Amino acid sequence: MESALTTAHPEGTVHGVVGEATVPLRFSTPETEYEALRERAALLDLGGSRLIEVTGAAATDFLQRVLARDVEYLTAERCMTSLVLDEAGHVVDQVVVWGRENGVLLESSTGGGATLLAHLTEQNTEGVVLTDRSAELTLLGLEGPYSWGVVGRLIDGELAALPLESVVDTQWDGVDVIFGRTGVTGEYGYKVIVPREAAERLWKQAAEQAVPAGQEVLEQAMLEVRQPVFRLEAAEDATVVELGANWLVDITKDAFVGRDAVLAAFARDNPVRTVGFRGGDAVPEPGTRVLAAGEDIGVVVHAVRSVGLGATLGLARVEGEFAAAGLRLTVGDEEVTTLTSPYVTPKSWSIPIV
Amino acid sequence: MTTIEELRATAAERQRTCEAIKKMIVSRLDLPIEPAWITDDQPLFGRGLELDSLDVLELYVAIEAEFGVALYDSDMAVFGSVSRLANSVRPELAGADPTSNA
Repeated sequence: MESALTTAHPEGTVHGVVGEATVPLRFSTPETEYEALRERAALLDLGGSRLIEVTGAAATDFLQRVLARDVEYLTAERCMTSLVLDEAGHVVDQVVVWGRENGVLLESSTGGGATLLAHLTEQNTEGVVLTDRSAELTLLGLEGPYSWGVVGRLIDGELAALPLESVVDTQWDGVDVIFGRTGVTGEYGYKVIVPREAAERLWKQAAEQAVPAGQEVLEQAMLEVRQPVFRLEAAEDATVVELGANWLVDITKDAFVGRDAVLAAFARDNPVRTVGFRGGDAVPEPGTRVLAAGEDIGVVVHAVRSVGLGATLGLARVEGEFAAAGLRLTVGDEEVTTLTSPYVTPKSWSIPIV
Repeated sequence: MTTIEELRATAAERQRTCEAIKKMIVSRLDLPIEPAWITDDQPLFGRGLELDSLDVLELYVAIEAEFGVALYDSDMAVFGSVSRLANSVRPELAGADPTSNA
């Protein structure tokens, strides 16, 4: 699966494979892209996500069963993020559910669309209609403390100040688009679902006002605010509770696929938990052991060199009694310190939309 | 060098504070979940627990009543997560956490 915008990417863009998708990993330098995302406005090609339409008389019943959050009253003016779990409580995908007048659009994670579609197809005992719209539609994103200004200049200033997770059907330059206020980095975030034939034109206009940022910086910024990237964080046997992704599951909902397994994991006496850490010169590989005063307490899940912190930033899965911020531990040969989330405070939290 | 017992004790102290904050949030905001379902690191506002500005006001009052700490600051970073809030209600916990002022 290739982005509709590949031909619009600037010369020198580095592409890479993420799941089933080939996506832009970086357009320029990590520092340039990161600075745009955390200080101004970054433009994102989200074409590595599939858009799967779910319609039919039983669509709501089906979605209530396969989604871990409650979408019974989701209207066409709202969207929300949810996990899709298997019976064992393991993450199949993280989706954004876009409410529509007739059914919903499910936005898969980057590169996770084929797995999601296969799972939905297998689960479809209600006979709903699953339509992959990715051949017709694609997705652009804007994130950053001043991304609202770009939205105002590009589409409509009133859209910029919509409440979080609002969705509006609108027009850009005579083209019907679906606009949503939703993001993943803690900064002001917006997405536009646009027909593929108009996407390049929209991208080029947006790129005059925002700096293109690739998947590497996007995922780094997500880690900094503890927004999960399950492709990197979820080992096959890890439960939602161990991942710390409880907030993407509505446990008050009576029934959904994976609920019993999640409850069993929650009730377990000797839990394993995920905690952030910072420190060391090298970026440890996943699987590197984590020690507390010389005792083996867990394993590194994922780590990067954080531009924002100027240090190694990572996640570790450790014995529950050590899952707390402020501990000095050892990862490989390096001393690290466990952290409170968010690891970087988004600038948008202190900047109003004007 | 810090011993394993000291690390356990430090972690347990923070976990007790986080637990108390979660109980306060669930009780004061009448949330239909067990306090332990809230993770230490999940966002409290917007995405995450999806609290709003009215909830913030309620939490300001609750925190002062239950922890004796007045948070009149409008700095939303204080509410970045339960663990971050723990740094504000128990400043001695923030000492070794390099993100406490990030």
